Amino acid sequence: MKKSLIIILAVVAVIVMWIVGSYNKLVRGEENVNNAWAQVETAYQRRADLIPNLVATVKGYAAHESETLENVVRARGYGNTTQPTEENVAAIQQQESAISSALSRLLVVVEAYPELKANENFKDLQAQLEGTENRIAVARNNYNDAAKAWNTQVRSFPSNIIAGIFGFEKKGYFKADEAAAAAPVVAF
Amino acid sequence: MKRLFPLLFLLLTPLAVAWAEIPDPPSPPRLVNDFVGVFTPAQRDSLETVLVAFDDSTSNQICVVTVTTLDGLDVSDYAVRLGNKWGIGSHRNNGLLLLFKTRTGEEDWIDVNIQVGKGLEGAIPDVYASRIIRNIMGPHLRDRRDDYWRATTAACEELMKLASGEISEPRDGVDEDDVANAIAAFFTFLIFAFVIYRIVRSFKKFNNRYGGGSGGGSSFGGGGSFGGGWSSGSSSGGGWSSGGSSSGGGFGGFGGGSFGGGGASGRF
Repeated sequence: MKKSLIIILAVVAVIVMWIVGSYNKLVRGEENVNNAWAQVETAYQRRADLIPNLVATVKGYAAHESETLENVVRARGYGNTTQPTEENVAAIQQQESAISSALSRLLVVVEAYPELKANENFKDLQAQLEGTENRIAVARNNYNDAAKAWNTQVRSFPSNIIAGIFGFEKKGYFKADEAAAAAPVVAF
Repeated sequence: MKRLFPLLFLLLTPLAVAWAEIPDPPSPPRLVNDFVGVFTPAQRDSLETVLVAFDDSTSNQICVVTVTTLDGLDVSDYAVRLGNKWGIGSHRNNGLLLLFKTRTGEEDWIDVNIQVGKGLEGAIPDVYASRIIRNIMGPHLRDRRDDYWRATTAACEELMKLASGEISEPRDGVDEDDVANAIAAFFTFLIFAFVIYRIVRSFKKFNNRYGGGSGGGSSFGGGGSFGGGWSSGSSSGGGWSSGGSSSGGGFGGFGGGSFGGGGASGRF
């Protein structure tokens, strides 16, 4: 009888250890995803912060392009911090690609203003904008990698049992979009 | 659970192969990688010496790469991938990559990109990188002057000046996994302690009831080996430190630094 008690205890200990182990692994995985997501948000925020400066500079040279400028300002406005659920990621991607296309339209318009293009301040802004777009691309790639690792973990057996018990959910992906693929080239 | 990791890696290798368009890191490692041949051997060696000395004294790694094609990628995308694949910079992400796509028949222009590791973004913001390309490298490249050597040395000089103001000390290592492992080990210990406590208590009862010696502990050798299996898993992340340890007379090797897209590019 004593022997069976020991066996039961040992089995329980092994199960508890396994649960603790996979739970911790899931927590670590989710932390990775959250960290990658925070970087995506930072990159988007950075771009949103650049827009007023950019618009102000362009206005000085191309005031009558007000419609294009207004479009950029309207598209701007990175929202509040959200969790990267599937719907949220899709919504943010849509919102941000609207900003991207408004900005690239602005940069096309700017082509008609040689003095503006020659302005050092504008060149600096353009460099910052380009760097920000690159950061967004890198952050989104990193996030997708983290989300993929996480989703695999959540959906594969046996860790999906633990994920189900503790309510860990799948994360959304960024899809490759047309606006980002057509990033403007800065020529000097 | 940790046993599954090698298996996982095996499954992920096909993904790694998809990066084949980026050249492999040079072996032995070098900081100047003139795949095109725009520098003379003497120029290449002298630049290498300067950059290795800079790496030795400040731990900032400046890597110069020339290629003929970007395989359809955007120049900064290509540079980020190359920098991350090679691991330029230390764990402080203090790598700098100066990439040239040279003028070719089909693509009659020069693409220049300066990638700045995250650790140096404070010292070299995008605007500075862009000004280096525009105002320092530009005069040597613009109007088909194509003086790669002058452009490179002038840019490296400026980059060294800026970077050494931010990070200027030898490398050191901190393992972030240590904390997580310590917590896991603590809980494991608690569970083991509880189990052993119960077992010992049940044996005490057994012994008290039936007399006999105090040799209860000896039969639990099996429990010890069980613990051994667990602790082997906790030593993950050992691979990190292997990078920069072998620094002889030449370049010690890339340190696993990563890039987040900071920097600037230009076309001439």
